[in-house]
Amino acid sequence: MNAQALQLLISVAGITVMVAICWALFGRAMGSLSSAEDAVTTLARDIPGFRAGEKTISRDGRAALIEDVRDGAIYLAIIRGGDVVTRKLSRGLGLKRDGDRLELRLKDFTLRKADLDLADANAWETKLKVLAA
Amino acid sequence: MKPFDPVTLAVPGFIVLVIAEMLFVRFTGRGRFEVRDTATSLMMGLGSTIIGAIFAFVFVGFARLIQPYAFFHIGWSWEAAVICFILDDMRYYWWHRASHRVRWLWADHVNHHSSQHYNLSTALRQPWFGVLALPGLLFLTPLILIGFPLEMILFVHGINLVYQFWIHTEAVDRFPRWVEAVMNTPSHHRVHHATNARYLDANYAGVFIVWDRMFGSFVEESKDDAPRYGIVGNIASFNPLKVATHGWVALASDLSKSKSPREFAFYLLGKPGWSPDGSRDTSDSIKARWAEFRAAQSPGE
Repeated sequence: MNAQALQLLISVAGITVMVAICWALFGRAMGSLSSAEDAVTTLARDIPGFRAGEKTISRDGRAALIEDVRDGAIYLAIIRGGDVVTRKLSRGLGLKRDGDRLELRLKDFTLRKADLDLADANAWETKLKVLAA
Repeated sequence: MKPFDPVTLAVPGFIVLVIAEMLFVRFTGRGRFEVRDTATSLMMGLGSTIIGAIFAFVFVGFARLIQPYAFFHIGWSWEAAVICFILDDMRYYWWHRASHRVRWLWADHVNHHSSQHYNLSTALRQPWFGVLALPGLLFLTPLILIGFPLEMILFVHGINLVYQFWIHTEAVDRFPRWVEAVMNTPSHHRVHHATNARYLDANYAGVFIVWDRMFGSFVEESKDDAPRYGIVGNIASFNPLKVATHGWVALASDLSKSKSPREFAFYLLGKPGWSPDGSRDTSDSIKARWAEFRAAQSPGE
């Protein structure tokens, strides 16, 4: 076996062992938003001067929508793994509502779709339609 | 003297240290790991090694092309290797700084910053398509033109990369002041990986933090503003292929939409976040808004 093949083998074995140990020690951590305020905290840290207006959270705690009162921008906060990812929603956003379920389709290579189960889905659909137009 | 590849030799050490850090974090709570994030980082490291080896001929070919024009012909000696190491570290500083300020280079380097975690596995989250970041080759030119042997440059750069592995950790707080003054440390590099407005575009050093102090890009880690890691607009995927290509896909999309050669040039060579109408954020605009916001919060300062 040549040196490069040996190096590749050690690397693959090493990755397998490291991922297995990581799994054993930390499990598969699934983050969640306990309230829309969690998402507001994240946005306020990342966007200087952010001031939250209306907000809503998905019933499964995996996504939230928050308005910035300064300019009416709407942000999506969504759980990925153990962390929160945020996006400013913009024109061209795709929308589909089925009862309380709201599906957002984004022009985003790593975040194509977000599903929210909202108590106030109708009101947010109206807001987002204005933004998407 | 026959050179060897320090990175290859260090791989078993990387594995042992990552596992040791996981145990440390599990039992002390100092740091964070997430299994999918870790798996992605490790796969990125493996992919980078394999694809890097395949395209090494571009790098070596470029070096061989300009080597005949070298001013001197420096032979192998430890003194020459030490000087080469220091100069290579300065070269690394400028390449790294450009990689954060020029979109073409950022499209590649963004991969290394795409984790919201900061641990030793993050060090191994390396780009796959460095071969596409062609302007990066220019930073190699001075060392070759001075006359250092290519093997020596590769050797000292390998040591540089091995050094940079261990500073990707939250497990180590700070070293004595003299160490923090001269060397790149976990504290300085946490700042570099942070997205807090005050920490953006800072601490580009590889081994010696003195370059940042000399060239005005040094920012001290503040106890009052714990670093939050990742990128402005964090990615929402653990798929290594998406992680490796997302910067390039975004760049290609913008280039395809450019309406003039000027727009094309600014998308390619301007700051990450540049847009024709200024509607997107650059690190400069974020920092300016943050400074404005702070001034408004505490006008006396």
